[in-house]
Amino acid sequence: MKKESNFLYVIRLTVTLLLICVVMAAALGAVNGVTAPIIEQLTYEKTQRAVSAVLEGGGDEVADFPAMDMISKVYHGENGYAVEVTPTGFDNTITMMVGVNNEGKVTGISIIDHSETAGLGAVAAAATSAGEAFRAQFAGLSSTISVTKDGGQVEAITSATITSRAVCDGVNAALALVAAMG
Amino acid sequence: MNFKKQFVEGLLTKNPVTVQLLGMCSTLAITTSLFNGIGMGLAVTIILTCSNILISALRKVIPSQIRIAAYIVIIAGFVTIVDLAIQAFLPDLSSSLGVFIPLIVVNCIILGRAEAFASKNGVLASAIDGICQGIGYTVALIIVCVIRELLGSGTFGGGLLNNGEGIRLIPAQFPAMQIVMPVGGFLVLGFVLAGSQWLMKRLDSKK
Repeated sequence: MKKESNFLYVIRLTVTLLLICVVMAAALGAVNGVTAPIIEQLTYEKTQRAVSAVLEGGGDEVADFPAMDMISKVYHGENGYAVEVTPTGFDNTITMMVGVNNEGKVTGISIIDHSETAGLGAVAAAATSAGEAFRAQFAGLSSTISVTKDGGQVEAITSATITSRAVCDGVNAALALVAAMG
Repeated sequence: MNFKKQFVEGLLTKNPVTVQLLGMCSTLAITTSLFNGIGMGLAVTIILTCSNILISALRKVIPSQIRIAAYIVIIAGFVTIVDLAIQAFLPDLSSSLGVFIPLIVVNCIILGRAEAFASKNGVLASAIDGICQGIGYTVALIIVCVIRELLGSGTFGGGLLNNGEGIRLIPAQFPAMQIVMPVGGFLVLGFVLAGSQWLMKRLDSKK
């Protein structure tokens, strides 16, 4: 091998690494160009599905709403509000959509994203009969909501009281926001 | 070129999970349903094969002082490409594997194979090594997944069969929930390691 001077060797190291980075970055850019619109569309559809799942007729996003704990997004349609809330669950925050009609009653809830324990807290979001039964309990409620263990009206998910409480907190926050918005 | 030898090594005698004990973090975290195991296994196999090919092709160009940095850039690039592709085309898999796809960047299987194999061997051998090690990882994950899902949730094929609920083999009130939790991951993995050791001893003594 030809002996290189120290300086040239350093240049060679730098240029090699730079070239690898440039090539990988270009490949990433190309892939992102293809996938970005698809991912954006999927996210939008997911949100719209979540809005129309809890509120009949769906709704459009409202930019201006009172700043309150746990509230991240508000959608308003002719049948009421859909509020995206982020209560703290067992492991992390739960992102959920709560529908509230014009009479201030919950029309439905849907959990969009969570990191609850699989098989326990995750039941709250699951598309199983147990999950649907849990979520269905919220429909029609309007006063302060809590689990039966705390003297409330919602039957908690077996071995997942903390997750169930978090969902109640989220629904209460959504009701409070809707009340504040009139 | 010895495809059969590499295949047996990847699957059993040098299995990345049960013998090399690499990539334990993802192995323990995601093995709760069959769907997760297959998805994670395929993602790792694709990334491992691509990065092995590229690293092997560049092995004479990359100076040894900066090889780790170069490998990480290449691996991170492929991981991000696969992550974006999964988000766009398999959103269900993306939401169930979550952060563990981006974390493949630091999965030691990939860097381990780059350092131990791809940087010393030709492109074709490295590609085969990537595929064989990837299959070994996938098979190990699937075994752990099936056991944990059966004992922990009482189902088979969760996320994949029967509209994603899996086929119920044990009535819902009986499964031991702890098996799905991290504790169960360690226990099941331990038994799977013991089982693969037993199998290897048996094959050895037959020779």
